[in-house]
Amino acid sequence: MSEELRLSARETRGKPGLRRYGMVIDLRRCIGCDACMVACKAEYDVPLGVFRTWVPYRVVGKYPTVKKQFLPRLCNHCDDPPCVRACPVDATYKVEDGGFVLQNYDRCIGCKACMASCPYNARFMLPEHRTRTNITSVVDKCTFCYHRVIQDLVPACVQTCVGRARIFGDMNDPNSEVSRLVARHATQVLRPEQGTKPHVFYIGADRNMNEYGRGVYDASEALDEERAVFNRNHTS
Amino acid sequence: MLDYTVFHHIAWPGTYSLYFFVIGISAAMFFFSAMSWYREEFKPLRQSGFYLSFLLLVLGGLLLIMDLSQPARFLNMINPAYLKFDSPLAWGSLNLATFGLVSVAYFFMLRNGDEVNGKRLAVIGALLGLGLPIYTGFDLTVHQHRAVWNTPLMPILFVALSFLSGAAVASFLTQGNEKLRAILRHFMLWSGGATAAMLVSLLGTTAYGGTGAEITFMFMTSGTMGLIFIGLGMVLGLIVPIGLLLAPVGRQPVGMMVAGVLLLLGGMALRYAILIVPQIVHTYY
Repeated sequence: MSEELRLSARETRGKPGLRRYGMVIDLRRCIGCDACMVACKAEYDVPLGVFRTWVPYRVVGKYPTVKKQFLPRLCNHCDDPPCVRACPVDATYKVEDGGFVLQNYDRCIGCKACMASCPYNARFMLPEHRTRTNITSVVDKCTFCYHRVIQDLVPACVQTCVGRARIFGDMNDPNSEVSRLVARHATQVLRPEQGTKPHVFYIGADRNMNEYGRGVYDASEALDEERAVFNRNHTS
Repeated sequence: MLDYTVFHHIAWPGTYSLYFFVIGISAAMFFFSAMSWYREEFKPLRQSGFYLSFLLLVLGGLLLIMDLSQPARFLNMINPAYLKFDSPLAWGSLNLATFGLVSVAYFFMLRNGDEVNGKRLAVIGALLGLGLPIYTGFDLTVHQHRAVWNTPLMPILFVALSFLSGAAVASFLTQGNEKLRAILRHFMLWSGGATAAMLVSLLGTTAYGGTGAEITFMFMTSGTMGLIFIGLGMVLGLIVPIGLLLAPVGRQPVGMMVAGVLLLLGGMALRYAILIVPQIVHTYY
């Protein structure tokens, strides 16, 4: 992106001398094994009921030719993140070199403005009690495995993906695998109309799957029951 | 393979709407108290309006702090080293704190009978008080992906709701002053009319928005939320009391009192529905 097109001072995509990490998710390769969710849970001891990454699916087609369409989700580490703008105490910030959107747990007051502002539902509130860590009652989210990436490792979900559906790398490096994939394939980002410039790119995504489904208004009984159980067991 | 439906929580629960409600009334009551320095009719509200405003401000502040998941860190909101002025919440917390300080100073001016400084502080406090519904509306407006919230109407709607609920409460404190009652009746009618016009406009733009906006409209106008927004908020809490105020009985104390109660009920219901519905839709994304 040229300097002239950059609207926000926070954007670092295409900025010389800086890395801008992104993820490509090739849905043609995703088999919905949920190993990414498990790897993420194990890496961070993510509590029950909340997720840094999750894999929703939709069943499409008509019997017997039915299939599941998966759409792995995580924080999009937007180049112009609304959560950073919304936080009143600078607890959510963007790392300039790398573009990671991170959370300062010691500063977070739990006002949930970042949760309200995220168009992707990528943020969640940690519970009051946790077994292995004292990071509680603050907002959390995917970090693109910042602690791994700065040690030249890829994120845990990328490492574990059995179909190699998740590819991670520096979008500012034209020779990186992610840059080449984005250049050569038709990709989509979620909710581009929000102007957040997300950095998770999907190959083979069904356009109908990444907007609100009208079905949510007339949700099935099973979905309503599941939601009732969720609400009963996970009060924020 | 594990098939698991992932749900999401709404970020801001119903207690926030209660905060919007009390802080809106607090702002309007201070405004009426300040008006007493310029209009003789408002004199009965100088003391009672201010005390109620201060009480509600304290209650609102406590509600806001208790709703933080880290209540002990509420001072971060006014810590200059942490404050980030990109966020409307930062401006709001400063507005709230300054309004609180001015209210305390105003209390001493009232007690000491210092007319000159009391009048000055009344103007400053009234302006800061108006900032409260403006910032709460702006706080919702900035979330660009939320239907209903992301409209320039929000701050103005919250100001109108503030005057509406505030005038309703003030009408209980007129101490038999007929002139004041007549003025407050006009306040209720005008702010009620403005609220109704804005809500109709809001519903129209929401109904003809994208998928998310359309679903938000459907949630707002049907089911439990429809009952709260349309039934309690618009019909019972706005149209009925406006009709009552326009009728001859609306000029009588009893009629005004009934209208005031209904307007308060409606003001709370509208704030609740406006806060919650756009979040319900988003939990499915």
